[in-house]
Amino acid sequence: MNSPSPHFYFSLLRLMAILRGGGATRAENNGAEAWIAGVAIYFISYLFFAQFVPADLKFWQTGLLLAGLAFLVWLFWLFALYLNSLIIEFLRLGGLFAKIPTRRAQSILLATTATAMSAQLLQRGGWTAEIAAIWLIAVAMNLAAAVILAFRNGAGRRD
Amino acid sequence: MSQLGRFAVRGVFWREYLDWAVVNLPFYFYPVPLLFFTIFFFFFAAPARRAVVANLAVALPGSSRAMNYLRAFRTLYNFAWTISEAAIYKINKEEFSYEIIGAEWLDQLGAAPGAIVLTAHMGNYDLGAALFAEKFRREIRMVRAPESDPATAQHLSASLEKAGEGGVKIDYNTAGALLSFDLLKALRDGEIVSIQGDRVEGDVAQVTTRLFGNDVRLPNGPFVLSLVAAVPIFPLFIARAGHRSYQIIAGEPIRVLRGSGTREEEIAQGVARWCAVLEEIITDYWEQWFAFTPIFPAR
Repeated sequence: MNSPSPHFYFSLLRLMAILRGGGATRAENNGAEAWIAGVAIYFISYLFFAQFVPADLKFWQTGLLLAGLAFLVWLFWLFALYLNSLIIEFLRLGGLFAKIPTRRAQSILLATTATAMSAQLLQRGGWTAEIAAIWLIAVAMNLAAAVILAFRNGAGRRD
Repeated sequence: MSQLGRFAVRGVFWREYLDWAVVNLPFYFYPVPLLFFTIFFFFFAAPARRAVVANLAVALPGSSRAMNYLRAFRTLYNFAWTISEAAIYKINKEEFSYEIIGAEWLDQLGAAPGAIVLTAHMGNYDLGAALFAEKFRREIRMVRAPESDPATAQHLSASLEKAGEGGVKIDYNTAGALLSFDLLKALRDGEIVSIQGDRVEGDVAQVTTRLFGNDVRLPNGPFVLSLVAAVPIFPLFIARAGHRSYQIIAGEPIRVLRGSGTREEEIAQGVARWCAVLEEIITDYWEQWFAFTPIFPAR
């Protein structure tokens, strides 16, 4: 078995790993992280678009639209990824995102999009605002952890 | 192939899109889109879906048709993960964890002066070849069934050879007798030849045998080569065990030796042993048996 000890991608989990005596190396092989973050982003975007479903439809029409929306959200993200790739190319011309892999730059743009959607959901109130608040707190904690890790590792060093 | 053909289920567009996605997708963005791609192909790749259902009906007797459709979905979902992770390995050079089952046989294979690796359309055989070439610093020649789309075939060959970093060479079993002589020479020169032995495609030499109590036709090339070159056949499978985690399953070598029987009898014995291995592995890992063409006679 060549399996290394579990590593994490997100700063918050890496910081927690350090506090528990583990390593802070960034890794992209944690299945639990992949599922939780992936489903969370998809769920936030689904809730965001679901608010545009008209409220005056019949029950079966609403159900059908919400089911179809799951596929439309998938298509939205496929399009968003393509659009992001163009934005990244453009930003790289100006020197931004030049030193990180494309998928990391995409990660920043995807998280920004999901966070913007959450901010809007938060303003609407209701149970969807609770979900959005959880996302926003998680993002804030992750950013705070990233700052702590950056200070801890010293300027210019990236794990 | 027309421009529209690029977008067919086996068209090169999807392979190129996967390569693009691997560069662009954060690792945590795979699970949900792959689920939707699986739903998409579950409906649009109808022949493959039907073939998986039909094959599972024989391999897992007693299960209902509805259950086999659910199993077919799971198989396609596993396939989506498998080809994605093979592309991740090829392009991003990410690390994968693996567990070896049957380490003694794998060590024997690594040290063998010429051997045949017999595998199935199961798990991540593409990634497995690259891992093997890297682990043992041995060159491996993979014999594959031809792709229906030449552009896809070209893309796959280039991908596999890139993933293997020079350790993997691809041959398509369309070259007829010339390929047989080429492979025989390679075996006699001490190389390792990998062949998929769970179905026949195209005009290759075949043998009728029994699998799960049914008559099936399997390629007899590996067994003829083993007999003529006097090299063992190592059953080897790469099963996906989880997120970027694999099991390398090596089996006891099958030796097709010249004995008291006729050549056909010796080959038949080797084929029967292979079928026993195949039945065991398919029963245990049916969700990773990517047999997208019917193997068994229609009922």
